[in-house]
Amino acid sequence: MDLTFSPRVNLVLGRNGEGKTNFLEALNFLALGRSHRGSKPDEMINFDKETLHVTLEVEEESGSVLTCEFGLDRSGGRRFRVDGEAIRRRADLVGRLVTVFFNPDSIRLVRGAPQRRRHFTDHGLSEFDPLFLSHLTALQRVIRQKTGLLRDHKKGLASPPETRRELESWNKELAVHAAEVCAGRQEYACLLTPYSHGTHKTLTDNDLQLGFRYCPNLECVKSRQKNDPEKPFAKEGLAADIFQEIDYIMESEIQRGRPRIGPQLDDFEVRLDGVDLRVYGSQGEIRTATIALILARSDVLYQKRQIRPVLFFDDIFSELDRHRAHRLQEMSSRHHQVFVATARADDIADWRPEEMKAWNVQGGGFTEADNEPPY
Amino acid sequence: MTVAGKFDNGDGGEFQSPALERLVRSLSRLPGLGRKSATRLALHLVGHDEAAGPAEELVAAVTEARLQVTNCSSCGAITEADPCRICKSERRDSTQICIVATPVDILPFEKAGFYRGRYFVLGGLLSPLDGVRAEDLPFHRLGVRLEKDGVKEMIIALDVSVEGETTALYLQRLFADRDLQLTRLATGIPVGGALAYVDEVTLQRAFQFRRTF
Ligand SMILES: [Zn+2]
Repeated sequence: MDLTFSPRVNLVLGRNGEGKTNFLEALNFLALGRSHRGSKPDEMINFDKETLHVTLEVEEESGSVLTCEFGLDRSGGRRFRVDGEAIRRRADLVGRLVTVFFNPDSIRLVRGAPQRRRHFTDHGLSEFDPLFLSHLTALQRVIRQKTGLLRDHKKGLASPPETRRELESWNKELAVHAAEVCAGRQEYACLLTPYSHGTHKTLTDNDLQLGFRYCPNLECVKSRQKNDPEKPFAKEGLAADIFQEIDYIMESEIQRGRPRIGPQLDDFEVRLDGVDLRVYGSQGEIRTATIALILARSDVLYQKRQIRPVLFFDDIFSELDRHRAHRLQEMSSRHHQVFVATARADDIADWRPEEMKAWNVQGGGFTEADNEPPY
Repeated sequence: MTVAGKFDNGDGGEFQSPALERLVRSLSRLPGLGRKSATRLALHLVGHDEAAGPAEELVAAVTEARLQVTNCSSCGAITEADPCRICKSERRDSTQICIVATPVDILPFEKAGFYRGRYFVLGGLLSPLDGVRAEDLPFHRLGVRLEKDGVKEMIIALDVSVEGETTALYLQRLFADRDLQLTRLATGIPVGGALAYVDEVTLQRAFQFRRTF
């Protein structure tokens, strides 16, 4: 199956359960190095086949073309190649093909657990800051190691004096990476806020201030942020401060058998004219704030790397009122290649972008639809 | 950014011989071998008729090496004689000791030939997730060795990973009160490497540890 997509708008039409989402999932797999909804390779391969192989020609704004490939097999094997070169670590895949995915679940960015917002920030920053990504990866690894150590100790598998010395070493290493990650998160929140205000305004026509603010867990990071919450803070001496703060509570971490403080507990506030949407947002406010934030993220990326991510909308227009749905359609197709999956042709009925292509999905198979409604 | 795509649902191949399949599997578990190269090797090994083919030679060599090779009881290097050549040599400086994670890490130093001190193999790095704790590594033996040899400088040459860094920090903490100079290998731009192709992390480290002319 060899598909040539429209560089602008691609509609993927079909009843639910016919494979629309699987298709978007396969296109996104190369961007994330995994499924955006956590499917196992086995679930992504056609039931009567052994493997799935996808090759994408990715053209960047600069005109350069990357050939990205991935292969999956039923035993769980996955292979990635970019321009023929094998990619071994997922980190090396970040930022090659850049996509943004919207589905009804996306509103959990505002409403869901802090982990969602951390991931949003970390991923957004990693797309243009590979140093941040390497510190983040290292931090996550150290935290897993430290958690393992504390758990072993709790189970009585380690002698106390050695545990303290080991823990101190892990904390020292943790602090080095945590300083970079915390400073990066603050920087990203400061970068994102002006753009999110802009995208929110275009989407809703109101001038409410949408803000994304970093809420660090560590006291020493909070106090650095206090001077000017809207500005990045200096990193000098931060690692030493973080080490001190974490080292100070070592005994209580040993007692509880797990880490108690650190950037793994950071959160971000989403505020609309001063109101914390995580707590007080209406369904509609949360939905538009989510879309505004995600679009702002791609604006930041464009500012940094002159790249416009490919946008995927999986069944979200039915949840927006007509006016906002239309705004979103206009905004997204102006600069981006867009893939829209929907079961209801109604949702996109008044949309007539140039260079639109439509595909019908049925039983996992694809056919190009006539380029005229009602498809 | 735009994409165009190709989807290919292929069918995987299987051998008609379970024995060959087992051989391929055990070869592909070896470090650095993917299934493809393992298959090529397996077919090469079994594809001979003579009684003393490459397969028989390989089996004999593996058996012999398993019997002869051991680790030096003093430094942990791979050797047939214990203590090893490096630990026995009068010309090596016993006051300098280079800490490495695995016996293999000694090889590049010896090949380069500039280092005149001795080694100590930890046999691993701190990694609770892999069940490696301080008590699993020979830190006590290292302490005794430092004392016995009157070591003045300990050069830490561990992997640049969080486990390597943490193990280095642990060593620093453990021997902080000894009269001992602790040094670490510098990280930076490889010789002969073009600056444009150096990854960001390496570049940042090289910058961090830049030196004056
Ligand atoms: Zn030896």
